[in-house]
Parts: sequence; structure tokens; C-alpha cells
Amino acid sequence: MTRKVISAILRKDLVAFSRDRFYVFITVIGLGAFVAMYWLLPSSVDETVRLGVSHTGLDEILTPIAAAENEALAIFEFDNRDELVAAVESGREGIVAGIAFPASFADTAESVELLVPAGLPPEYLPLMEGIATEVAFFAAGEIPSMSIATRTVILGVDRAGDQISLQEQMRPLLAFFVLMMETFALASLVSIEVQLKTVTAVLVTPARTRDFITAKAILGTSLALGEVLLLMVLIRGFVGDLPVLLVALALGALLVTGIGLLAGASGRDFIGVMFLSLSLMIPLMIPAFGALFPGTAAGWIKALPSYGLAEAIVGVTARAESWGDLGPALLGLAAWCVVLLAVGTTVLRRRVQTL
Amino acid sequence: MSTRRAWSIAAREFRLGPRSPLFLYAVFLPIAMSFLISAVFGGLLDPEARLGIVDLGQSEMTLAAQELDGIAVDVVDDAESLRDRVEMHNLDAGIVLAAGFDERVRAGEQPDLDFYISGESLASTRIILAVTATDLIREVAGEEPPVAVSVTPIGDEGYVPIGDRLLPIVVFYAVVIAALFLPAASLLDEREKHTLSAVLVTPTTMREVLLGKGILGVLMGVALGVFSLALNQAFGSRPLEIVLFLLVGSIMMAELGLILGAMVKDANSLYTAIKGAGVFIALPVIFIIWPTLPQWVAKLAPTYYFLTPVYEISVNGGALADFWLEFGVACVLCLVLAPILLAVGNRAETRLAWAG
Repeated sequence: MTRKVISAILRKDLVAFSRDRFYVFITVIGLGAFVAMYWLLPSSVDETVRLGVSHTGLDEILTPIAAAENEALAIFEFDNRDELVAAVESGREGIVAGIAFPASFADTAESVELLVPAGLPPEYLPLMEGIATEVAFFAAGEIPSMSIATRTVILGVDRAGDQISLQEQMRPLLAFFVLMMETFALASLVSIEVQLKTVTAVLVTPARTRDFITAKAILGTSLALGEVLLLMVLIRGFVGDLPVLLVALALGALLVTGIGLLAGASGRDFIGVMFLSLSLMIPLMIPAFGALFPGTAAGWIKALPSYGLAEAIVGVTARAESWGDLGPALLGLAAWCVVLLAVGTTVLRRRVQTL
Repeated sequence: MSTRRAWSIAAREFRLGPRSPLFLYAVFLPIAMSFLISAVFGGLLDPEARLGIVDLGQSEMTLAAQELDGIAVDVVDDAESLRDRVEMHNLDAGIVLAAGFDERVRAGEQPDLDFYISGESLASTRIILAVTATDLIREVAGEEPPVAVSVTPIGDEGYVPIGDRLLPIVVFYAVVIAALFLPAASLLDEREKHTLSAVLVTPTTMREVLLGKGILGVLMGVALGVFSLALNQAFGSRPLEIVLFLLVGSIMMAELGLILGAMVKDANSLYTAIKGAGVFIALPVIFIIWPTLPQWVAKLAPTYYFLTPVYEISVNGGALADFWLEFGVACVLCLVLAPILLAVGNRAETRLAWAG
């Protein structure tokens, strides 16, 4: 009986959702925009500094420098300063700046000119100065008193040449945007039922409050999960350990359903529901946003409900992690799902009972 | 029409407005957008190389490194913490300088020096930090560079950093949310809750209601436009001229907002209309971010005639004298929208009367 009742409420809600122009509109437009945004982002990380150099007779010094730093540094040689200036100005072949050694440099090293275009990241200047002076030292026969290269220790997994691209880093944020849209949709559906008191009409049928809330939770979770799965297909997000990813996305859908129920039960009108949903969702976007930045997340970010979701998406799709690595994060996410679903359903139940 | 009654309506809007979440949203959004832009474009797309130093003997190298432009230097207490932070990629690289490092380098010795690189740091960052560290060691050793290095800037005419090019987004959201959305939502809310019908049975006319709500939108649009520019320190040298364009833009947006608020059926339709038309009214922003696109397309959008002058005056040092045409078009658009607004307002009033 209960199953039939829940199915009936679900059918009614699906019809209501499909008739809601606003949510259908933002769902379609949003999904399209997120997918387009993903494919417009760079799919690889360019780790090479491309410098143009004009010189005469410095091949013996420059060639070993470029060869030693094969991935990090590419040196493009030009016959004269004017050609180098033109290349730097146009950014030809990705050249970011230039070093113009005078023709007499190999014999009498006196001055070097650094050609710096507008917008050059400031840290490139010490690099260029360093290269120019090292070349001068070598030309003068002065070998460095200490070699940094021989004392270098690489800590952690060496990702040189295999960096996580901006596309991969953006996956959790895009998934979260989609989940957020569905939070709005569910919250709006719930709030309309509460404001218009249609829920009281539903409850004079054999349906009980529990059926009503269960139907809403199933609808919210299904919509959120369905859309986020579709997004992941469209952005080729299903790489790595698929079961871990599916569990993480399902937990994410449950998490936002809890929030949707809470916002829908608490908001007084359409704008209030939108604002409340947004206020609850913005802090939850922080871990996904944080995944874009290097380094480990701060303790308070790890404590946020959505941390496990962001960590799992990046971990599985970009770092090839699995249950062992992501277990604690997923457990934390699951615990938050229980808490938020409990809060959401409790608030909604109380609201329904007061009608 | 009584301007006193219109002001009363506006005063009531200001008194009751802050209770609405939309009011808070309008104030919060420019702050959030400014933060987002400075975070993303100040750090994400142009990250500084991060170097950690454990200095066990007060080396001159630490001080010299801290003065470097474009490299964020963090002095760490001990080698173990440094290793942890480098391994977790909280730093790109780290150096441990032993006690007496400077004296030993100057004496031509090879003192202990550990240079840790994070496996997740970019190859380009690694070379920047390695070359910089080598340079700093030479400096400490007293090895004078045998060459004078000069810097020649190339082609910086017309260059605008991406962070500045995104400024119109902040201004756009501030003005559109405050000037267009607030009066539209307020008018619609009054229609839906039938408080507008109650107001209209008093001597207050629909025109006075529209003017009162328009005043709210215009003042909020100008205030939040100014606020968002101040937040981004983007007033340039001609703040009054910027405010003039913000005023005209806010009037235009408030008129559009009131037309929408009087026409749409419900809040869902209002959101749909704004989201649907959003791409069109945001066109100038897109064309400012990508200046190589054909700029005439942006001129099709009404927002072009105040956003572009605001951007050019605040970022590129333009002046009102350069934008008379845009100013004129913006004023004409405001004048054209006024009778449309009055007609739509009259129709809404008639509908309300029939419904009552």
C-alpha cells in the first residue's frame, strides 16, 4: 500500500516538476553551460617556460641549460634582437619573454637585455635574470660554487609532465553546481506544497506524512543523481574506480536532498526558498572550489559536509584513488548525509503537522 | 502625480526592503563576486611560486628571498614541518639552510643544503625556484654578476590584466540585481500578495508606485555599483563621471525591471525571463573580456551604453568626453522605456481593478 502511495505522489511530483518552466529552463541551460564550460577549459597543463634568446656564439652554454631542463624550459633562438622583439610581442610559439645577449657577449660580457611583455608573471623575472647571469658566469668561466640540482629531493608522487588539468579539477565544482540546481528544484516543490497547503489534500488520502516525505526524498535524490550522472557522462567523468565514484555521487545526491527538504520546509515564498537554499549551499561549495587550489585543505574545510564528495571526485578521476584512500572521506560524507536527511525530514514533518 | 507620495513609497521600500532575502542577496553578491574574481584570477590562474625556508643560522639568503617579487616565501620552524608541507604541496619547494651557511659559502666551502621539491609542483615552478635559489646563493657568496641586466618592457600599450577585464561582471551584477531585480521582485510581490490593490484604493496612483519602486532600484543600483567599484579599487581618476553612467544605467535597468514586474505572471516567470534575457543583457561583459571579438555585437545590448563607459573610464583612463554618443544613446533608451513602462503599469492597474 505504502509503495503504491509513494509511487502516486512521485508521479504527481514529476508532472509538477516538468511543468515548472523555471526549473526545466535552468536545468537544461545549466547542464548545457556546465558541459560547454568543461570542454572549453584546458585539458592539459603547460609546464614549460618558453624563452626567446638572441645571441651570437653562446650555443655551447645555452644548449646544455635547455637540455638539462627539458620539460621546464624551452629556448627559441633568434638571429637578432629585432626578430626576438617581434616574437615576444606576438607571443609566437608561446614565447613568454626574451633575453637579448649582445653580439659581443661571448667575448666581453657587459650587459644583457630582458624583453618583458606586459602581464608577464612576476616570478619569471628572477628566472630570466638568473639564466642571464648564469650564462654570464659560465662565459666568464665561473662555475657555481654550489649546485642546487645535485641536492634536490622530490617529495610525494612526481607529477611533472602528468599534472592534474583544470578540466579535471573542475569536475567536483560542476557536479556540485548540478546538485545545487536540483536542491532549488526540490526545495521549491516542497515549499509550494506547504505554502499552497496541497500537502493537506494529499494527507486526506491514505497517504501519511511519512509517505509524503519519503516520496519527496526519493524524487530529490533521483533527480539530483540522474542529472549528476548525465553530467559525468557528458564530461567523460567516469574514469578510475567506478563503484567509488557512484557511491560518492549517490551520497552527494542524498546530501543535497536533505538540504532541499530543509530549505523547502523553512522558506516562506519562492524568493525565500531560493535565498535559503543558496545560503545553505554556498558553504558546501567551498571544498569543491578548494580543489582548484594546490595543497591540502584546511581542517575546517575537511569538516564541511561536502568535503568527501569533492575529495572523492578528484581522487577517483584525477589521482586514481580507491576505497582505501577515500574511505574516511566517504564515511564522513555518509555521516553528514544521515544528519542532514534527519534534520530535513524532521523540519518538514513538523511543518506539515502544523498545517 | 504627487512626488511626495512616490517618496513615501520609496521610503517604505527602504524600510521594509532589508527584511527581504533579495535585498541581502543584492548587497552580498558584489562582495562575493569581487572575492571570487580576486581569488580565482589573483591566485588560481596566476599562482605565485611558494618557497619555504628553514633558516637555522639567520642567513642573508632568507631576507633576500623575502624581497623577491612573484615568489611567496614562508619561513618554517623545522625541517620536518618543511618536508611535510612540501610533500602535501602546501609549498612548491623548500630549502633548509644549516647554521653558519653564509660564512661557509663565503669561505668557498660546500655547506649542507637540502632542496625539497613537491612532486605536484609544475616543472616551470621548479626551474624558477631552482634558478632563483642558485642566484641567491651566489649573492650570499659575494659573487658579483659579471653582467648588468636591464629590463625592457615590450608591447604594454592597451594591455589590461584579466582581473581588471572582469570588473564589468561585478558592476553588471551589482546594477542588474539591485536596479532591475529588486523593483521587479518588489512589484510582483505586491501584486501576488494583493498589497498593491490595497495601496491603489488610497489616493496613491500606479505611476507613483512605479516611481517609488524605481527610486529604490536606481538608488540601490548606483550605491551598489559604487560599492563594487570601491571594493575593487577601480574608481580611476574620474569618479563623478562613472557615477553619472551608473545613474543612467540604473534608471534604464529599473525601468526594465518595473516593466517585467508589471507584466510577468509569477516569481517563476520573472526568474525565467531574467535568466533567459540574461545572456543578452550580459553581452557587453563577454565582449570586454574577449576584446578580439567583433565589438559591434555588444552594441546591440542596452547595457553596453553604460557598462562600457564605466569600464573604460575606471580601467583605461577614459573620460565622459569620449563617450558622449554612448551617454546619449543610454538617455534615449531611458526615455523610450518610460512610456512603455507607463503603458504596462496602466494595464496592470486595470487588471488589478477588474480582479478586485
